[in-house]
Amino acid sequence: MERRLPQFFFALSMIVLALMLGAIWQAASPTWKTYQQEFHRLEAVGEPNAAAKSDVVNAALVIRQDLLPGLQRVDRCTTCHLGVEDPTMKNAPQPFAFHANLAPHVPAKFGCTVCHGGQGLATDKQNAHGMVPFWQEPLLPKEYIRASCGRCHKEGEVPGVPELADGRRLFETQGCRGCHKLNGVGGTIGPDLTEEGAIRRFPEWLERHFLDPNAVSRNSPMPNFHFTKEQARALTFYMLSLTSEQMGTYYSSVRLIPSAGYGRELFVEKNCIACHSIGGVGAKNGPDLAQVAKQHSPGWLDEQLVNPQLIYPGSIMPAYDLETNARKAIIAFMASATAEDAQSILSQRTRPLTPQDAAIEAGKQSFARFGCVGCHGLQLQGGVPNPNSQGGEVPSLLHASDDYTKEEVIKIIQNGKVPPVESTARPAAPLYMPPWKTVLTDEDIHRIADYLWSLQKKKDAW
Amino acid sequence: MKRRSFVSWGTAGLVAVCSAIGVSLGAVVRFLTPSVFYEPPQTFKIGNPADFSYGPPTFLAEEKIFVFRDPEKGFAVASAVCTHLGCTVGYFQSDERFHCPCHGSVFNADGTVQHGPAPRPLEWFEVTLARDGQLMVDKDRAVPANYRLMVAS
Amino acid sequence: MNPLREAWQSVVRRDPLSTDKGKSELIFLNVWLHIHPAKVKKENLKVKHTFYLGFITFFLFLILVTTGVALMIYYRPQSPQAYQDMKDLQFVVYLGTFLRNMHRWSAHGMVICVFLHMCRVFYTGSYKRPRQFNWVIGVVLFLLTLGLSFTGYLLPWDQLAFWAITVGTNIGSYAPLMGAKIRELLLGGHAVGESALLRFYVLHVAVLPALMTLLTMVHFWRVRKDGGLSRPVWKLQEEKSAQLVTIGAPDTSAALAAVPASQDKTYGLMEVVTGKPIFETVSMEEEEDTVFSYPYAFFREGIALLVTVATVMAVSLFWKAPLEELANPAKTPNPAKAPWYFLGLQELVSHSALLGGVIVPTLAVLALIAIPYIDSNPSRRPADRKWAIRAFTLFVVVNVVLIVVGTFFRGPGWALVPPWVHITGAE
Repeated sequence: MERRLPQFFFALSMIVLALMLGAIWQAASPTWKTYQQEFHRLEAVGEPNAAAKSDVVNAALVIRQDLLPGLQRVDRCTTCHLGVEDPTMKNAPQPFAFHANLAPHVPAKFGCTVCHGGQGLATDKQNAHGMVPFWQEPLLPKEYIRASCGRCHKEGEVPGVPELADGRRLFETQGCRGCHKLNGVGGTIGPDLTEEGAIRRFPEWLERHFLDPNAVSRNSPMPNFHFTKEQARALTFYMLSLTSEQMGTYYSSVRLIPSAGYGRELFVEKNCIACHSIGGVGAKNGPDLAQVAKQHSPGWLDEQLVNPQLIYPGSIMPAYDLETNARKAIIAFMASATAEDAQSILSQRTRPLTPQDAAIEAGKQSFARFGCVGCHGLQLQGGVPNPNSQGGEVPSLLHASDDYTKEEVIKIIQNGKVPPVESTARPAAPLYMPPWKTVLTDEDIHRIADYLWSLQKKKDAW
Repeated sequence: MKRRSFVSWGTAGLVAVCSAIGVSLGAVVRFLTPSVFYEPPQTFKIGNPADFSYGPPTFLAEEKIFVFRDPEKGFAVASAVCTHLGCTVGYFQSDERFHCPCHGSVFNADGTVQHGPAPRPLEWFEVTLARDGQLMVDKDRAVPANYRLMVAS
Repeated sequence: MNPLREAWQSVVRRDPLSTDKGKSELIFLNVWLHIHPAKVKKENLKVKHTFYLGFITFFLFLILVTTGVALMIYYRPQSPQAYQDMKDLQFVVYLGTFLRNMHRWSAHGMVICVFLHMCRVFYTGSYKRPRQFNWVIGVVLFLLTLGLSFTGYLLPWDQLAFWAITVGTNIGSYAPLMGAKIRELLLGGHAVGESALLRFYVLHVAVLPALMTLLTMVHFWRVRKDGGLSRPVWKLQEEKSAQLVTIGAPDTSAALAAVPASQDKTYGLMEVVTGKPIFETVSMEEEEDTVFSYPYAFFREGIALLVTVATVMAVSLFWKAPLEELANPAKTPNPAKAPWYFLGLQELVSHSALLGGVIVPTLAVLALIAIPYIDSNPSRRPADRKWAIRAFTLFVVVNVVLIVVGTFFRGPGWALVPPWVHITGAE
């Protein structure tokens, strides 16, 4: 042992040296370097002479990243995806292919992962595409990438992505809020969906879930709404857009797309038709807007929207607190609106009605908006299964007047009601009427009751 | 016991260990050298050639550069960082020179020092045309003051 | 004299290593090495006696400090940058993954080796008089090792880290009187958050390593003063008839035998100083069996170092340290498990918070500390200590079983599951 000790020491030193060199070898040839070398060879093909070619082929191999502090991201995708902004790479194989229609979402300002998903910090394919455990934002399949537009562009319509507006509309009209909270409003029977786009970026799962909830989520109390494939996709898009992106000021200032469609939405929201007309149709308190848009520059119109008193002191037009892009949108709408638009806006709004009819209409809006439809049905027919409750399902409201007075119904809406159970031996019924007095005002609740009473089916007279 | 052979093997082992240390020193330096910088990049695009006017140079505050466009000679990009102690210089149309507010250095239109404590002329950076047609500046590559990029309009 | 030679000799002031004097001077004129005796007994070098576990633990600590400082350059103890920095270490830092792996596996290795070292010291009875207090210092070093591992566990700021520390600090809070306060001080708040991350970082890179260093110095110093590394003394007794000399013992009853000191032996100044004499038990034959520390001990320790480094490097080349998703206080993984060395505790706690989480562990630590003081058997021979050895073995086995149960046999809701569930990933 004594004699062999130094040999042993020497041998071990060699082993340690070998292991060190092994570690260095492991770190020396990452795959991104191979990709960059291949890209340089591709680029060299287009170079005019040998010197230029050699310059390109021998260019330094560096990790490229887009620092996006405003989006709280760092994207290194362009380390391998080198042809993204190079039109000559239109027909190059991936990962070098050119990305058409990129502007204004250039990588230097937006990176890649905010639309495509994936793990921006990574520098090898598997990890960068997010196809690894413990990364919750894998690369989105091609057909769903457009859903990411909704992560920033939350208001109005997004040109080219009608699914987002469709999905939002479906959400508001199908009564989803009856069970799901969104931005603080809604029920607690299902999970809160405010961050659904951040938590569950798995579009295939979402779509299957909309088509048949129980197929993917065992024993889910969510009923099957029998959506069509298009509806399920629209809702999936909408779900994927439900994220609360932290955005720097640059992004929040360009977030609203100033499209004419969004302008129309704002026009309706701000009730401009109450004072203005378009093409002669509408109110006559203020000037005709189509006329105004023809006569003045967008800059003038913008000033007017910011401060009506500046140009017309004493004007009764309120100063609406609108963002730059919101104002642009309204101006875009004004420039393209016709008398038909005004007519359709007039017909959609609640016409001047008697106080009773107004209350019923308002009650109907609240009934849909706060999700009552989700359990009680669009035609108030009920029928949603509620095991172990008396009757086994959510009751129809069409005969409420048989069992309750209007005041009792108002009390139930205010305070909620847990349905009596069939059998105390079995678990309690999962669905119950929640209390709404903290969410709805008393006036709202009275109007809902008015609406319900307007639809009551009287008992067949003997 | 053969002492001498004992010692020489042990010495050989020590030499091996020392060379391992040497290799690791190289690895240490490489480890300490950052592979990515948490700063704005040194190479960046500044826009399309058509966006830049002739006459007085366009000053880009964030990138700290002046973009010159000459109708005959083409584009040139100068650094706006004074070579004295790093303050940002300003371009004055009145005498067509760069003035540094910190210690009064004055640079001519070609970047050379007219007077003041600045030791070197202003740097000129390489500007090329990227594949998508935009102007691309590379701050890591210095070019002579008479470098121009001709762009077909 | 040749100026170069003079310059060299101003740095290296010892005689050449070919001389005995030079070999001695290499050790005791060198600040880094002079904790060693210039000459060492051959018995001290026996691998099968100590397994060099103390050295290995210390070398692992050195590897941890080195890799730790390297990692500090690329790590920020803030949420959420900490997690991003872990990703950067993996993807853009040269040798980042390798260094992180080395750090993590050395940490686990050090916890295991310090425990094995403690077992070895017990089984060889090396805690007995006069080494009782060094054993206590060793127990404190063991607890510091656990503390360093625990504080470091939080730093990646992923789900694994966040919830392990949540569970760990909650177990600690069950201690009566001080538990809640200690938890508050550790976390700098009511729950694991930004303050906890920063406090754990300061503990991990500054406070605990400083304490570890200071106590290690005392530990090594005492080993030296107590008579050097452990040797199988009882074997000597069996092999030779008792020809033992005790130098400087307070009375003869403390010695295995008392024989007048040899007239031939000379004592160097370092062995005869004012104050307490050294407790040394030396056999006459052993005197002849001493060898110079350089090269015998030197190269043996060197080999221990190389074996440790090689093992850690080899493991680090092939096994990746885990990194789960970003810490999410709103989402508790099921099950949420403490680091493996606390899983035994967590298993106990699952049966009874006060008894299992506080009383039993406290008693265990107190019992460990008390061992040298309640053990009145002066013999270190295994045959004379059967019950002590059995008791300690039981303690070790119980610990291992608890940890194994907590690791492999507990699943969601802390329910008992068959161990292969973890392999098939059916969580």
